[in-house]
Amino acid sequence: MTSAEKTSNSGHALQGIRVLDFTWIHAGPSATRVLADQGAEVIKVESNQALAVVGGPSSATARGLGQRHNWNAGKRSISLDMKTPQGVAIAKRLVAVSDVVAENFSGRVMPGWGMDYQSIRQIKPDVIMLSMSGFGRTGPWKDRVSYGQTLQAYSGFTELTGFPNADPCGPASAYSDAVGGMAGAQAVLLALLHRARTGQGQWIDLSQFEALSSLLDTLVLDMSANGSNSHNLRSGNRPPHETGAPQGAYPCRGEDRWVAISILTDGEWDSLVHVMENPAWAQEGRFSTADGRSSHAEELDSLLETWTRQHTAEEIMRLLQDAGVAAGVVQTGADLAENDPHIKGRGFFRQVSDHQGISRTIEGAPYKLSRTPGGAKSGAPAFGADQTYVLRDVLGMSDEELADCAIAGVFE
Amino acid sequence: MVLSGPSQERKVNENSSGQQPLTGMRVLDLSGPMGVYCGKLMADMGADVIKVEPPGGDPMRKIGPFLNGDSSPGHSLYWLHFNTNKRSITLDVADPKGAELLSKMASGADVVLETSPPGYMDSLGLGYDRLSQGNPGLIYASLTPFGQTGPYKDFKATDLTGFAMGGYMYVTGWPDTPPTRLWGSQAYNTTSNRAFIAILLALYHRMATGEGQFIDVSMQEAVAATTEHVNTTYNYTGEPAVRCGFRHGGQFVATWRCKDGFVSITTNTQQAWDDLRDWMAQDGMAGDLSSERFNDRFILRGEHGDHIEELIQAWALTHTREEITEWGQARHHPWGPATRADEILENEQLWDRGYFIKAASPGQGEKMVYPGAPYKLSESPWQLSQQAPEIGQHNDEIYRSDLDLSQVELDALAAQGVI
Repeated sequence: MTSAEKTSNSGHALQGIRVLDFTWIHAGPSATRVLADQGAEVIKVESNQALAVVGGPSSATARGLGQRHNWNAGKRSISLDMKTPQGVAIAKRLVAVSDVVAENFSGRVMPGWGMDYQSIRQIKPDVIMLSMSGFGRTGPWKDRVSYGQTLQAYSGFTELTGFPNADPCGPASAYSDAVGGMAGAQAVLLALLHRARTGQGQWIDLSQFEALSSLLDTLVLDMSANGSNSHNLRSGNRPPHETGAPQGAYPCRGEDRWVAISILTDGEWDSLVHVMENPAWAQEGRFSTADGRSSHAEELDSLLETWTRQHTAEEIMRLLQDAGVAAGVVQTGADLAENDPHIKGRGFFRQVSDHQGISRTIEGAPYKLSRTPGGAKSGAPAFGADQTYVLRDVLGMSDEELADCAIAGVFE
Repeated sequence: MVLSGPSQERKVNENSSGQQPLTGMRVLDLSGPMGVYCGKLMADMGADVIKVEPPGGDPMRKIGPFLNGDSSPGHSLYWLHFNTNKRSITLDVADPKGAELLSKMASGADVVLETSPPGYMDSLGLGYDRLSQGNPGLIYASLTPFGQTGPYKDFKATDLTGFAMGGYMYVTGWPDTPPTRLWGSQAYNTTSNRAFIAILLALYHRMATGEGQFIDVSMQEAVAATTEHVNTTYNYTGEPAVRCGFRHGGQFVATWRCKDGFVSITTNTQQAWDDLRDWMAQDGMAGDLSSERFNDRFILRGEHGDHIEELIQAWALTHTREEITEWGQARHHPWGPATRADEILENEQLWDRGYFIKAASPGQGEKMVYPGAPYKLSESPWQLSQQAPEIGQHNDEIYRSDLDLSQVELDALAAQGVI
């Protein structure tokens, strides 16, 4: 890096990095949002073919609009019809001035444009290319298609999540996409570090199935070593790795209000009993040891409920936290946005202006870096909002070129 | 144990080019369960991660499951999984002599990773302000339940309660079950994943400027940023998202009970919805679903939801996971089986791509299988070079070679219970 760059990164770690971003929906855009938050110039290449998908430029629902902003804040957008040769030619010119190219198409798309890694490194030898896919770009399943929920099913998360005596419920949302996004951001940052140290670019073949599978904790080791004696089974709210009870979500006063309580040690149990003002049932011998509590966990749960139902979730959290016990309200979206003084105090949610000047709420980064706090300064771009900046200022295209492309429908 | 597939003889450390992205970076890993995966991510990408254990061994060595159900030392699969490629020293950092040794090590370290309550490391003279004085390039990552500031900063949390406070638990589960955790320690893993991103950003910044920095990671925020729809639903519609089992977005993205388990069927396109109805009709089980009034797939979310659900569920029970998966995938629809835990190791795609890695289990000579790279970097890849260390396995090489302590000094520290 030059000394000019050293002094001008102004609280952003990735100032000066440009990302050409073909990704869409959730996983890919949430990866590049991490980079945009830290000052990278992320140029979304969008097409009117995908206007209405989740997080697309014209998301049909309010929730879709929220996801558009949440995962695309601070980015730029150009519209480019990649079915036209001029569209592809412009994309290749953008590769030449980019550090990172990100895509999550099916495996045939980038090669079809002559933009697979081997081709684009001819344009930019040290380019970093992030290819995100369901199952990876090699292997017998490379052409299988997936949504987040599909991968959660394939990986085991769907079968494993839920109570043992009920149907599995699986993760409530696309955990797989969130994981893919985190993994994508990590992989690009690792490649940027490698490039800074060696000058070498590279290709990242990110299988979201593998990224998700890598979070199955000890499951693979356990199955290979212990086989059918494995303890890694659907276990409701009890931790698969540690013994200890009570552990779970307990109903409180109010409609569908719950508090999560997590007791691992005898000391924590004693504190809980004390806070409950020593009910007779809690003095019984079978609850006096961690093993005893674990083997009578269901009975313990229903007894504990008789106490939790008398209080609000917030009261119980306060009472138990004051006694040093891990307890927390099972918070809803409304709790997080309106009622939780802590997350508000830390400024997790941020207000940014969209292209019409309307204030939009987005999630901030879930980490605070003391010197490079970063943070998006605007909402998601309007579809094609940065045509002039990208084509004229970045690529230096002339008015005549732009007019020719417009007539040929390249920007539609 | 079922092991199959073309890559089953793949060896540890198969990869080529040598340098990994974090080769040469030294990390002092003082973390507990919330951060131990972050340390693993760094170690697997080439950093020299030194796990600092209290004398007698890290409490995480006692967390199951255990190899062959044997909970004696060295058999914790939890320890083996989360500490690959790390080195280990024993050190009592709460002892002033121990703290002094740690601060000496920190003067030459790139990253400190820790998960103790806010203020605790400062009280030992091992906080960021102190350690960065001698090493301004130091990156110091503190992972805590609620972060370093704010009214709940001193609240305790476990994976379960962090998951609850982050807003993910309320929406997971069925309408008639309690809110439910994700399987495994996903709140901790997510905190580690987020922290790893922050550390990589800080390393990149340091490369440009030489400056280190302090990183404050909150488990609650890490979870809250991972829920997909909880915050956007409330902030953009005013209604909180609720529990709906695996009927995500109505039956639009759903999992169904079938002949041999559960199967995920997503009707993400009109074609997928039409194909599903056609197949049900061929089986004579479409009922009135083939009629025009059900053409719009978004009707799945509407008033006829229960009726449609009954029909699809009755039909799904007549097919196996594989039949439904193959039929859907042949038509490019994202359908797939809910894999059971005991089927994980049969996955041909993971074997073919070299995701699974066979290694001898410690002291046993048996083969165990490790999970592999979360992503494949073509030039500076993930590697499994070393299995998790034994207690204080690297005391000698680190204390004697790196810190130049003599045997006499080492013996004295051991006698005092510092190492």
